[in-house]
Amino acid sequence: MIALAERAPARRAFRSGLLAVLALFCALLLPSLAARAHEATMAVITLREIAPGRFIGQWTMPPADVTLQPIFPAHCQWNPPELVCGERGLTGRLSFMGLGSKQSVATIRVVPREGPAVVYTVSAAKPTMMVASEPGTNLAVWADLADTYVNLGIDHILRGIDHLLFVLGLIWIVKGGWRLVKTITAFTVGHSISLAAATFGWVGVPERPLNAAIALSIVFVGVEIVKLQRGEPGLTARYPWIVAFAFGLLHGLGFATALTALGIPQATLPIALLFFNVGVEIGQLMFVMAVLALMWAHRQAQALLPRWGAAIPAYVIGSVASFWFLTRI
Amino acid sequence: MTRLARRAGIAGAVALVRRAGSVGALALVFALTPGLAHAHLVDTRLGDFYSGALHPLTDFEQVLPWLALAVLAAFQGPRTARWVVLAFPLALAAGGALSLVLPPPPFAPVAGVTLVALTGLAVAAQLRLPLAALLVLAVGLGLLDGYQNGAAMVATTDRFLFLSGVTVIGYAFVTLALGCAIAFLAGVGGWRPIALRAAGSWVAAVGIMVLGLHLVSRGVG
Amino acid sequence: MKSHSPNPALVLAGLLAMIPLSPALAHTGTGTQIGLESGFLHPLSGADHIIAMVAVGLWGAQLGNPAIWVLPITFPLVMAVGGLLGVMGIDLPFVELMIALSGIALGAMVALNIRPPLWVAATIVGVFAIFHGYAHGKELPDAADAVAFAVGFVVATGMLHLLGILIGVAVRWEAGAKAVRACGAAIGCLGVYFLLGAIGIIE
Repeated sequence: MIALAERAPARRAFRSGLLAVLALFCALLLPSLAARAHEATMAVITLREIAPGRFIGQWTMPPADVTLQPIFPAHCQWNPPELVCGERGLTGRLSFMGLGSKQSVATIRVVPREGPAVVYTVSAAKPTMMVASEPGTNLAVWADLADTYVNLGIDHILRGIDHLLFVLGLIWIVKGGWRLVKTITAFTVGHSISLAAATFGWVGVPERPLNAAIALSIVFVGVEIVKLQRGEPGLTARYPWIVAFAFGLLHGLGFATALTALGIPQATLPIALLFFNVGVEIGQLMFVMAVLALMWAHRQAQALLPRWGAAIPAYVIGSVASFWFLTRI
Repeated sequence: MTRLARRAGIAGAVALVRRAGSVGALALVFALTPGLAHAHLVDTRLGDFYSGALHPLTDFEQVLPWLALAVLAAFQGPRTARWVVLAFPLALAAGGALSLVLPPPPFAPVAGVTLVALTGLAVAAQLRLPLAALLVLAVGLGLLDGYQNGAAMVATTDRFLFLSGVTVIGYAFVTLALGCAIAFLAGVGGWRPIALRAAGSWVAAVGIMVLGLHLVSRGVG
Repeated sequence: MKSHSPNPALVLAGLLAMIPLSPALAHTGTGTQIGLESGFLHPLSGADHIIAMVAVGLWGAQLGNPAIWVLPITFPLVMAVGGLLGVMGIDLPFVELMIALSGIALGAMVALNIRPPLWVAATIVGVFAIFHGYAHGKELPDAADAVAFAVGFVVATGMLHLLGILIGVAVRWEAGAKAVRACGAAIGCLGVYFLLGAIGIIE
């Protein structure tokens, strides 16, 4: 917000002032929205095998919701912290009781006596997970993996109101048609690249400045909309795919923080990444279609903003994003 | 469950094709419907915003009058109709907010069903309404349904997110239905308003019968 | 704002396919789901209902303007009156008989291409509509979800009308008109069969 005011020429002081007022308004009105803009509460329980079929379980990340409890296959006896599964070992259906809106994702990390640790992630969308002794060979396990991570991806984009707001800003500038297809594709390519890079650990960005930068990218789009409406098409209006690609890289890093928080083992990482990304694209496409349909309906109903109010959405987008930026730095 | 979902999808598809006049639309609906059979996951995992957005859609007593309101507004022409896009969601939000402070009025269930019958009858009759009357209807319906959705919240529900979801879905639903109805009426053919009026009379029939049931069961109890 | 979107109808269709009732109903729990399903199946479970409803659409199409639109709009409302009688538990005599008769009468009208004045046609259809509505309405208080049940049978009945009207569009061509009359005759014969069943002559 401050940076924005400095950048803006003096003749736009009035508009910046309006932005500040709106930001203040949002600050008063939207704290609960902002607090939930990045809701990815995790719970992780680690099971360490101490003897064949005997495990000691411990919450490595305790759940926010105390009612959350793991449910083990029927042949296992769970007397916290001890889990006894006998000769068959820990195989069968795993799930969690109490998954819901507060606690959407829970992870079980199994550390066997020999071999690498295996991680199973369960979400409210996919509340059960098959545990097989060798997850690499069983097709059903891979199907479970796909189901889980596609849903996680949809979940993440649809909950990530900051990502959606950015996409909304892009649609607002590009309007529709072939240019929009190219722009959204560029955004997708951008965030897929950085999502992969961050998940494999090639790049690492601390979360707070990243989220602040994401908020700033939305402010940028808001400013670009206002510029366009004043007849000064900015970079986004002329080359939307460049802007979409560049900021796509940024947003992809944001997606990665959600994915890496799950602690996926290296063996399943590429496939999990692929499915998560597919889920993100599905969710994004749903959102784009919804926005386009609503824009069409507004034109049909001739329910368009009057000229004096045409800039209001851009200012709302900008203000909300500025507010996020301020709360995240 | 899948069978039912698909059947509801077919019914929706028939209405759509009549509205949008596009065979492609039908294909798309069929392509999307199977995946939706398990789309109920939206309910729990996407937080209270999406719970709020989904809640009105699970209730015919809200979906039917919303549709009827949109068609009725479309009959009045876009210049009158467009105010519904603004008034209805605001009334929904206000009704939801009211539910936080006021106890439920005893007449709410009967009023809800009465509105189903009234909006349906108005569509069947292709009633010409002045803007004020249309707005009164939209605001009344919005307040009542906002209230009913708000009352469905439990202690752990995030009030702000849930009511935002209700408001957003009310806006999106009525705007889309209105846009579809206006586009549909703009097409060629005298049968188009008749098809919408017939749909309205079906809504009215549902409302009348369920209203009768309400009154009878109240008389017995 | 100019229209840039590739095909609004497609976008909209996709969106509506996402939003509406199917996922919602799949989750609301069994009440709405069972109510809708049983309501939808109720008119389809009896062939006597099916043929009579198709005959209404056929006759409307055959009569042409204005019957083709008066009948589909007024039928549900009159049926709702019959439904109300059923809901209130009022005893209406000869329901099965009248429903079977409706198939015969409407089938005969179509087969013989009888063109009475509109009010006569409306009265005939209206009387039968009351009995059909009564049969559905009687089930309403026992339904898991009354509104869903009502929506279910109303959608099913409306689709049967639509089917009749769509077949009836064929009256524009000479061969089509004959085919429509043949359909009417078939419906009338089936109606006789159901009538014999209703009064217990055949099992």
